[in-house]
Amino acid sequence: MMLRVSATTTDTEIALQGVVGDKASAATGIAYGAELMHFAESIALRDEKVMAESRKALLGAAGPAVLVDAAGVAANFQRMVRIADSIGIPFDYMDSPTVQAIQQELGLKGFASARHSMTSDGD
Amino acid sequence: MTTFDFSGLDFAVRSDIPEAYGTYWDTLAAPGNWWTGAERVAIAHASREALDCPFCVQRKQSLSPYTLSGKHQNSGPLSERVVDAVHRIITDQSRITQALVDDNAANGLSKEAYVELVGIVVTVFSIDEFHRALGMPLQELPEPKSGEPTFELPEPLVEDMGFVPTLPADGATGKNADLWMPGSAANVVRALSLVPDAVRGWQQIAGVQYLSLQGMQNFEQDDNRSINRMQMELIAGRVSSVNECFY
Repeated sequence: MMLRVSATTTDTEIALQGVVGDKASAATGIAYGAELMHFAESIALRDEKVMAESRKALLGAAGPAVLVDAAGVAANFQRMVRIADSIGIPFDYMDSPTVQAIQQELGLKGFASARHSMTSDGD
Repeated sequence: MTTFDFSGLDFAVRSDIPEAYGTYWDTLAAPGNWWTGAERVAIAHASREALDCPFCVQRKQSLSPYTLSGKHQNSGPLSERVVDAVHRIITDQSRITQALVDDNAANGLSKEAYVELVGIVVTVFSIDEFHRALGMPLQELPEPKSGEPTFELPEPLVEDMGFVPTLPADGATGKNADLWMPGSAANVVRALSLVPDAVRGWQQIAGVQYLSLQGMQNFEQDDNRSINRMQMELIAGRVSSVNECFY
């Protein structure tokens, strides 16, 4: 949702499918989007070889300052997902039509942790 | 203060990052609210062992994480129940349930101690992940400091979400007024508020790795960052998606 809000704020056209791994979508409207997406993915998947490759690619394309900041954000969200799931907190904005559209587009309700936010009828 | 040294890299790391990590490391070594310094460092050690735990690999592949029996890789002093909680947070967090947290609470791992444990595990893991992302070796864990936990509970507590009590959205008051600003009490911010220092710990690290709570109101670009908010949220979204995090 924050990606959508930041794109709207800056009047930028983006494609959300980058969040679920589509390289072309990640590059739409976002500088170094494909490299950032691949780097983030490699950190979350914990594949050292792929991580080394994606680190090199991002460093080459965008430079060290971007690499450091990207590493920070990825490391941060490796934490945030674990706070959310280990405490079982529900998502705050389930009633928002924008949120529901994003959840539908990205298939998020199929995730195991969606149960913390759903009522018994699946909404 | 503990020094985090990134001079082995061919490029500079923003100075606020190692400073915040050093401060957290010193906090990690000291007694907390529900664990001693030695126990807190042992929890951090267990969080690292989780990544090489054969039982965690086996359990992650099983249809249900609650039908398999076995022992975790555990070279430290913590009980199997505590190590199990630590390893689940690292390797299988999306399948943690209310029933597990309740069962732990009925068998010696109180909800207060669990929340502090979560705070340690996720914050150490996050700092470690930053090192891995840059191809750096992990920082040595700190030497524990002596002393006893405070066993202090915040007030008021409510049970309106998740597996544990939390401060209510309007409950960041008095000595806990620094936890969040009025109107900024997202559920994930309140999640660990049963142990306010656990919230402070991750916020301090989040402020340098991502954005402070105040900085999150800026949807364009923070002056101290080389990537804009869309770039940040693409990374955040992809990491969360791979982890199958609905939140």
